[in-house]
Amino acid sequence: MFGLPVHILLPTLLGSIIAGILCSAVGTLVVRLKLSSLGFAMSHAAFAGAALGIMLALPQPSWLALVFSIAVALILGPIARIARLEVDTIIGATFPFSMALGLTFLSKAPSAGIGNGGLSLLWGSVLGISYPQVILLFLVLVGVLLVVWLFGKEFLAVLLDRKLAIASGIPADAISTLVLFMVAVVVAAALRITGGLLIYALMILPASAAFQWVYDIKKVLWLAPILGCASALVGLALSLAADLPVGSSIALAAAGFFFLSTWASPKRRSA
Amino acid sequence: MDTPVVALDCVSAGYEGERTATLHNVSFQVRQQQRIVIVGPNGAGKTTLLEVINGLLPVSDGQVHVFGKSVAHHGRWLRARIAYMAQELFFQTSTPFLVQDVVLMALFGQIGLFRRPQREHRRRAFEALEAVGMASLRHRPIGRLSGGQQRKVLLARAIAQQARLLLLDEPTANLDAFAKQDVADLVADIEQALDATALIVSHEQGPLTDGAQRVLRIEAGRITCPAPVTPAQALVLQGI
Repeated sequence: MFGLPVHILLPTLLGSIIAGILCSAVGTLVVRLKLSSLGFAMSHAAFAGAALGIMLALPQPSWLALVFSIAVALILGPIARIARLEVDTIIGATFPFSMALGLTFLSKAPSAGIGNGGLSLLWGSVLGISYPQVILLFLVLVGVLLVVWLFGKEFLAVLLDRKLAIASGIPADAISTLVLFMVAVVVAAALRITGGLLIYALMILPASAAFQWVYDIKKVLWLAPILGCASALVGLALSLAADLPVGSSIALAAAGFFFLSTWASPKRRSA
Repeated sequence: MDTPVVALDCVSAGYEGERTATLHNVSFQVRQQQRIVIVGPNGAGKTTLLEVINGLLPVSDGQVHVFGKSVAHHGRWLRARIAYMAQELFFQTSTPFLVQDVVLMALFGQIGLFRRPQREHRRRAFEALEAVGMASLRHRPIGRLSGGQQRKVLLARAIAQQARLLLLDEPTANLDAFAKQDVADLVADIEQALDATALIVSHEQGPLTDGAQRVLRIEAGRITCPAPVTPAQALVLQGI
């Protein structure tokens, strides 16, 4: 298929499917909690972290991506309070800072940085994915499913209305922190597949598309991963067939599903 | 003597970033099965008072007890048993939750972490919807209901919780006369069925305020009205 040997195609397919499911499942929480800007900042911070890992020649740069991503999620609120600015403004300032930091780290990397591993951090390199990376993605997926299974009803309560959830005895602050932590882990784990610039697309677009079709959040939580998986597979096929970058192909496929869903949405027609 | 349902002792509280407290040295008690209406001008601290009672806003000074338990120490446990209706809460059309789930979620705090809703919980949610006449709409998205219907669903949450304390912040705001009467009747039914106490913030005279045994008037974070007074007297004091 596409002229690729099975030992490359199989991990590529598995990695794409798992990344699509993971990103869009967590993206559902991000979209409903209106944390899209925060997810954006976290994905770019993850890029800067992974770039630092490459500069330091660490065996697993993803760990620094995780650290940077979590750090951004944790410090944005306090910085906004200290600076007396809206969180959105701080996020706007964080984005170019993270990008500049990442590109600076890559330019100082020992192996001519941006020309090698650096490019995969920016645009993704699903074709270069190995079985250990697929296993890592799978373990993260299992972890996310476990967390959702354990705290599913608390997630639902917070997704309905945060204040109402607190008022009915739900530890909403802890649940929100858990969501941010999950976003950070997923971003760090999937960074190599879609790249720091486009992972955000795989998180937000399938979830936003799923919200166009159904009124029941439980169905959205099923539909978004299906659309995420479909986006990853269609994007991968497009990339291989037309010799396009994988990350941008996946993002284009996800955007296609989103625009199609918005156009055909029963919600839009009944509004 | 019975333990008061709500007891505030020299309570002061304010929001983060504000230099002055919104509530100043507030003390009062509420007995079981009373309906208290809280009146006062905008920004007087009425909503803050409700938020302090259910622990949504921590106090900077003083103590709050509900059912004899300290809100500071048992906040989550108490909130799972207090029905709270926020003033500004109206669900948008696109809200992806069904009516039956919105009611069931009121029980999640009582069910506790790591446990799932059982058939008993679903039955309570259904019966609560029946009690407010909304059972036939249980599969509808909450955002597709009218404002009055959404208020009824929120009251169904109180019934499902079997809440003995209702904190209602402008429960009839932006509703037409028929919906106001429906909400007032439902509140009265809940009070009677659950032996519940209700603290109601209201700007307007109507069926809800008419049924009150007591009125608290708040001005600039202080209770200024000598209690108890009749609702009509308090509204005269407020200039309504």
